[in-house]
Amino acid sequence: MDVDRGLGTRSAMTRTVMLRESQAEHKAIVRDDGTVSVGDGAPVAVRVGRDGEVRVGDPLPRVAWTVAAGEMRWVYLDGEVFEIEVQTDGRKRRAAATHGSLSAPMPASVVRVDAQVGTAVRRGDTLVILEAMKMELPVRAPADGTVTAVHCKPGDLVQPGVPLIEIV
Amino acid sequence: MTLRRVLIANRGEIAIRIARACRESTIESVAVYSDADAEAPHVRAADLAVRVGPAAPSESYLSIPSIVEAARATGADAVHPGYGFLSENASFARACEAAGLVFIGPPADVIERMGSKIAARALMQGAGVPIVPGETSVDQSDAGIIRAAQAVGYPALVKASAGGGGKGMRVVPDPGSARELIQAARREAEAAFGDGTLYVERVIEGPRHVEIQVFGDAHGGVVHLFERECSIQRRHQKVIEESPSAALTAGVRQAMGDAAVAAARAAGYRNAGTIEFLLEGAGDTARFYFLEMNTRLQVEHPVTEAVTGVDLVRAQLLVAAGAPLPWTQDSISQRGHAIECRIYAEDPQNGFLPQAGPLLLYREPQGPGIRIDSGVVEGYRMPVIYDPLIAKLTAAAESRDAAIARAQAALRGFPVLGIRTNIPFLLRVLAHPAFQAGAVDTGFIDANLDQLLRRSPAPLEALAAAAATRAALPTVPSASPSAADPWTSIADWGRGAP
Repeated sequence: MDVDRGLGTRSAMTRTVMLRESQAEHKAIVRDDGTVSVGDGAPVAVRVGRDGEVRVGDPLPRVAWTVAAGEMRWVYLDGEVFEIEVQTDGRKRRAAATHGSLSAPMPASVVRVDAQVGTAVRRGDTLVILEAMKMELPVRAPADGTVTAVHCKPGDLVQPGVPLIEIV
Repeated sequence: MTLRRVLIANRGEIAIRIARACRESTIESVAVYSDADAEAPHVRAADLAVRVGPAAPSESYLSIPSIVEAARATGADAVHPGYGFLSENASFARACEAAGLVFIGPPADVIERMGSKIAARALMQGAGVPIVPGETSVDQSDAGIIRAAQAVGYPALVKASAGGGGKGMRVVPDPGSARELIQAARREAEAAFGDGTLYVERVIEGPRHVEIQVFGDAHGGVVHLFERECSIQRRHQKVIEESPSAALTAGVRQAMGDAAVAAARAAGYRNAGTIEFLLEGAGDTARFYFLEMNTRLQVEHPVTEAVTGVDLVRAQLLVAAGAPLPWTQDSISQRGHAIECRIYAEDPQNGFLPQAGPLLLYREPQGPGIRIDSGVVEGYRMPVIYDPLIAKLTAAAESRDAAIARAQAALRGFPVLGIRTNIPFLLRVLAHPAFQAGAVDTGFIDANLDQLLRRSPAPLEALAAAAATRAALPTVPSASPSAADPWTSIADWGRGAP
């Protein structure tokens, strides 16, 4: 019943971590006695396996699978997947990535560009239509905003990660 | 004749599936790979492997000269095309024959005839197989297609003669939008198939997609292996398939099987194929219409294997070598129920965009009645340029309810982390009351999309697990391309733990 201790700081008996998942923030306290509390909740027993399996609760634990990628924790729980960002205490959260630029998910060609600099867009608006693997793929606005730059035109071949549209 | 060495002109899970069938038949297998796939699991599944070109499919898996040369260079005597890529390419089948290679599939002229949807419709009509009412127009101008649509009546379905997978297809709701939609269909068809020929069909309201597996040999034998229902599809890409279909009565099932055998006979069919039908209505009065024939092994063939107990790929090898069918129609029966879920690297929350990247954690479930066909291992990087299929999970049990429950339990125990997948989406489909009742049509996903995409915030257990997980678990593979390589150097042995 040992919570994994390798959380970053050397001497902590308890650690506070901030969790962010889909807009919500939670404070969690990880204790050396093998319990974790989230928010104002009661401590729950957490056992971390070496192979990514995590058992939460005692008795009748729920089985989760986790993997870390930088500050991201991927969690698989009963067929649902959660991507939870973790900031341990003593470390400032990095500036939020500029989610203002939209890029292609794969090498693709640009079929149509609907976005124009200076226009207001609403979440879900189609900004660009790409074609890849003989399928048309719409690139949609992830949030309400204003288009500040357009970096592509019909016929362009674009690579993943290269900005197509900037939105503020 | 006997086949000694089969070249598998494909990649991923289907290449592995075929290599296994070869091994059981004591036939050697040859894998082909592009530069992007040198470390891919399918390469190790075969006895030999040969590079066929750069990552781009057009220069490797779709390159007829490269594949034929690979077969020649490795001394293969036959080629299995799998599905996708060159599997329904008549020129490829011809090139194989010209090179003295057995093409494991139907004759080239059959592929060609069934590849033209207009020619296939005419052939089926002649054989007495019901087809969707429609119009083919000699005049392929916008005006000509619009006239055909008017004759069929709106809403009309404009389809590409060379089409498949929903490409080059548009529903035209009214005359006002006809020209624009016809032009879009033609553009897509020309881009995808190099052939913009269109025809028009009546729109069948609320159809179910039910297909019949057929098999023919070189001695005039043709059988069917019952149906698969594939109504759970999105943009004409199948997501969940099952057998038997909840919509078929014994009488309709019999009629569809007979029609499929008649269709295969009319086509001069050989080897494994599938006759796709649209089913309109339900019960004994349900009507079925020929949609198209797939002249190859299907992605969803494990569903048929689960309920009939046969090995379709092994039979493909036998029949390609000239042997008669290993079964008679009377010896084939449908037993129990099977459901296949296609697990894709895609983000349902973001327009189902394909996802690329490393499978940081990947654990396949096990259990009675569970079959996994996968082409990946933990640490494998899903490439950007190929089909985003990760695995197929097929659950078989004695009843439909039991098969659904088995598929659900297996998916809940199938953690795939590091890239987004459709597993949560699949579970929401399986749990949907309409799916559980078997009351679905091909519009199910679109009609229920909001509900199927609804996500809950992370529960306490997920947050606690995230908080307790440190950054460097010992089993987390690095994100390097070689992370999929399970070999260690023997030079490291005996040095003790690092």
